This record gives sequence, structure tokens and C-alpha cells, in this order.
Amino acid sequence: MIGLGIESTAHTFSCAVIKKNGKNGKILSDIRKIYRPPEGEGIHPREASRHHIENSSIVLSECLQEAKVTIKDIDIVSYAAGPGLGPCLRVGAVVARTLASYYKIPIYPVNHAIGHIELGKLLTGAKNPLVLLVSGGHTMILAFLNKQWRVFGETLDITLGQLLDQFGRSIGFASPCGVNIENLASTSSKYVPLPYSVKGNDVSFSGLLSASKSIVLKSKADACYSLQETAFAMISETVERALSFTEKKELLIVGGVAANKRLSEMLKDVCKRHGCKFFVTPLKFAGDCGSQICWTGLLENQIKKGVSLEDTFVTQSWRLDSVTVNY
Amino acid sequence: MNIIKKGAEADIYTTKWQNKRAILKIRKTKHYRNQNLDSNLRKLRTIKESQTISEVKSFGIPTPLVYFVNLEKTMIIMQQIPGKPIHDLSNPKIISLSKQMGKLVGLMHKNGIIHGDLTTSNFIYFQKKVYVIDFGLSHKTTKPEDQAVDLRLIKEILNSAHATIMKETWKNFLAGYKSIVGNSKYLQIKNLVSEIEGRGRYATVV
Repeated sequence: MIGLGIESTAHTFSCAVIKKNGKNGKILSDIRKIYRPPEGEGIHPREASRHHIENSSIVLSECLQEAKVTIKDIDIVSYAAGPGLGPCLRVGAVVARTLASYYKIPIYPVNHAIGHIELGKLLTGAKNPLVLLVSGGHTMILAFLNKQWRVFGETLDITLGQLLDQFGRSIGFASPCGVNIENLASTSSKYVPLPYSVKGNDVSFSGLLSASKSIVLKSKADACYSLQETAFAMISETVERALSFTEKKELLIVGGVAANKRLSEMLKDVCKRHGCKFFVTPLKFAGDCGSQICWTGLLENQIKKGVSLEDTFVTQSWRLDSVTVNY
Repeated sequence: MNIIKKGAEADIYTTKWQNKRAILKIRKTKHYRNQNLDSNLRKLRTIKESQTISEVKSFGIPTPLVYFVNLEKTMIIMQQIPGKPIHDLSNPKIISLSKQMGKLVGLMHKNGIIHGDLTTSNFIYFQKKVYVIDFGLSHKTTKPEDQAVDLRLIKEILNSAHATIMKETWKNFLAGYKSIVGNSKYLQIKNLVSEIEGRGRYATVV
């Protein structure tokens, strides 16, 4: 079974081909083009969708070439139907619908967030993990129960990715700013106290964002360091709470912020304390990519035949805990 | 001293205090955290916990007695409640006890206390009584927003860890809460809970 997956929820337009054999999946290709906003600015949905339209055919043909397949070999096509930015989502959906109707290929709408988790599980081999999903769109702690991913903790306002990006942009970095902040933070070790807001298993970052902006004038490096230390300690604590509550023996980090080394280091320590295995999605596949969509589509294919074209929706708001997982 | 639980925040041991069985709760250094931040948090929470645990007794919340506090070691010795966390009880039992949990939370809110960590593991059932523990994240306020965040927390836990009995437990919990705080306050907080959920990421806005 060979699948084609199309991702276009935010700044990334990506196509991937995966060959599925039983429970194993082999990524044959994963091609991406990423929209980069000007320094100090965030994603402009219209500009991002224009970028996706301009690049869609190149990405698609490169992806088939690298996988050494033709469109005739594709058994199913899946696309990210949400959550994400409306104009961007529509680009992926249009490409998928076109291929599906012209070549008569079954089509699958996929939840982008579930995609992160499923690809993480495939690549790390985690069996029954507590999942920390940290990206620009999500900050959630999840565990699987009764055919659904259940939320054990989440952000009450902005996400960890937004916190880093909005702070980074305010000091002149270009989005995504995680790497720049991490590098600058590593040059400081002076901790300036910042608001630490853990509410049970939930976190709130908006106060931290404002406070961090207010200490920037003295030293950017100290601000980056203190911001990271505070935000990551908050996340680590809520993960620890969820681990101790659910008594899971595995932790899996997925999403773009999974690439941050300091966060991984802290969570590794948490896992050690709780005798828990630590898994992190490999750097290359932590951020948004076609593979996550493709693999989830292939999993869905195990139990259903695809949807008719009228039902190939896109939804900007589509919470992953509203998806029933039957495979 | 035997360790009985490696909690998220603290390690829990059984011990003796004046020949009585007791619980020793110690908030140990977390090496992953910046040490400045870490020692602040541990101290603050030890103080909060020992204060609130005694304060809520005055208006009838069953809690363990605090025997001894050592702030330097961020350690509390308290009475052992040898019951079971509600989390570990059978589903029918959890459903029937939800009302009592709601009443206790209502009583705390009415008296200006936010628990801050309402989970089914922090209610202990012992000799037909429900005890409340773990006040490390508690604070004093009567702000409706904070009260609603408190309720949202327990709702989240019911919705995740007890998904199969979520509807009944949440209904009973709210009934108990309402019986203490009164109808108008109840409606205000309930609406605020929906509002907070609506602010969540990708929440369906109705």
C-alpha cells in the first residue's frame, strides 16, 4: 500500500510518499517548501497560501520523483483538513481533491495533530505513551483511552510555539524563532524571576510573554534564558503531574518545539525520576511534514474506504480530542 | 520510612510522629529546573500547603492535621488518612461521591480558597468521609475567573481519566457545588467555565 500525504496547515507545504507494509511504514520521500515571513513578522495567511499555491506542483512532482513512483502507483491520497489557517488548508485540499477525482484515488481528510502523534509513534516505536504535543498550534498533554486521545493538560491561552515566536519577533528574529532563542539563551545563565503559571495540569503563557518583553531592555540573552527556563519548567512540571496521575511508562514528545534541546534535556530528567522511557520524534520529522498526514491516512485506510468528494472538508478549528480513532 | 508515592511535586513517605502513623511529604530539588526558580517554588508551596490545609478546617473541610513543618527541607509531616483516593474507586462509587466533591469545592470557593489542583487523586475516601489533600497550588481569592479555572481543572480530569462516566460525575459534581454556593453564583461560574473552554485552542465556538 502506497500513500501520498499533503500538508499545508501553516507555513509548510509538504508532500510525502510512504509505503506501508502491515504495521511498518517506510518513508520514500518527504519534500517541503517553507514560507518565511519577513523578520519581526508572523505568518500572513494570504501570503502563506500564495506561497503554497506557487510551490505545490514542484513539491508534488519532486516528491514522486524522489520516491521513484508515478501517480499511478499511489493507492490513497490524504490531506491535512485541520486545524490550521483556512487559506493554507484549502490549498492542500484542492491539490488532494484534484488528484483524487482525476486519477480516481480514494481520499482521506486527516487531523494534523493526530498526524504528529501517529508519525511520532511510528518513528520512535513508542507503544502506549503519554504524549506531549508542543508546536505553534498546540501545547497539550495527551493519553489514549477508549478510542480517543484525551487531554490531560493544555495551555489556557497561547501555545509554547507562539510564546517563543511572539517573543522572538519582538526582539527582531524571523519566525520560527525557537532556534535563535535557544542559541541566545545558551550564552546566559542569569535567571530573572518571571511569572510561573501552572494551574493543576494546565499552563498559561500570556503573562510570561508580557513580562519577558519587559525585561528585554537590560539584556536580551538573560531574557531568552529566563523565558526558556520558566516556560520549560512549567511544561516539565505539568508533564510530571500527568505522568504521576496516569502512571504511564513512556513519554513521547512531538511537534515543532520538540526540536529544542533544553526542553528535551529537562524532560529526560523528568522521565528518569519516574522510571519512564523517553521518546522524541527525530528532528527532521518533528515539525510539520507530509509524512505525518500520509501515515495517518494509511492507518485510517485499514478501517475505512475514504470519503466522497463532497465530504472533503477543511476546518480551521478541529480539536484532536473530538476524533474517534478506530484503527 | 517507606516511600509510598513519587508524586509529581513531592515524594510521599509513611513515618511515625509521636507514635502515630503519619505522612511525610518532601518537595525535593528538581535538577532540571533553574535552582533559583526551584527553591522559590518549593518554599512557597510548602508554606501555602501547610497554611491552607489548616485554614480550610475552620469551615469544615476534612483535611489531614499538620504535625510539623520544616521550611529549610521543604518538608511537611501530617496525619495519615488511610483511605483510598477517589481516582482508584469503582465507577459507581466515583459517581455517587462526585456530589460530595462538588460540595467541598463549593465550600472552599465560598470561603475564598482556590484549591488549584483538583484531581480525583486529591480526594481521599475514608470511613464514609471525603478528605481533601494537596494544597500546594492553593491560593486565596474570590475572583470568579479563578474559581472557574478550578472547576475546569476537575472537568478536564473527569473528561480524560474517567471518560466513560464523565456525564454522570460532572452532573453530580455541579449539583453538589450548586447546593453550597447558591443558584446565581453557580450559573455565573458555569458560564465562565464555558467561556474559558472557548478560549482554548481550536475550541468549537458555539
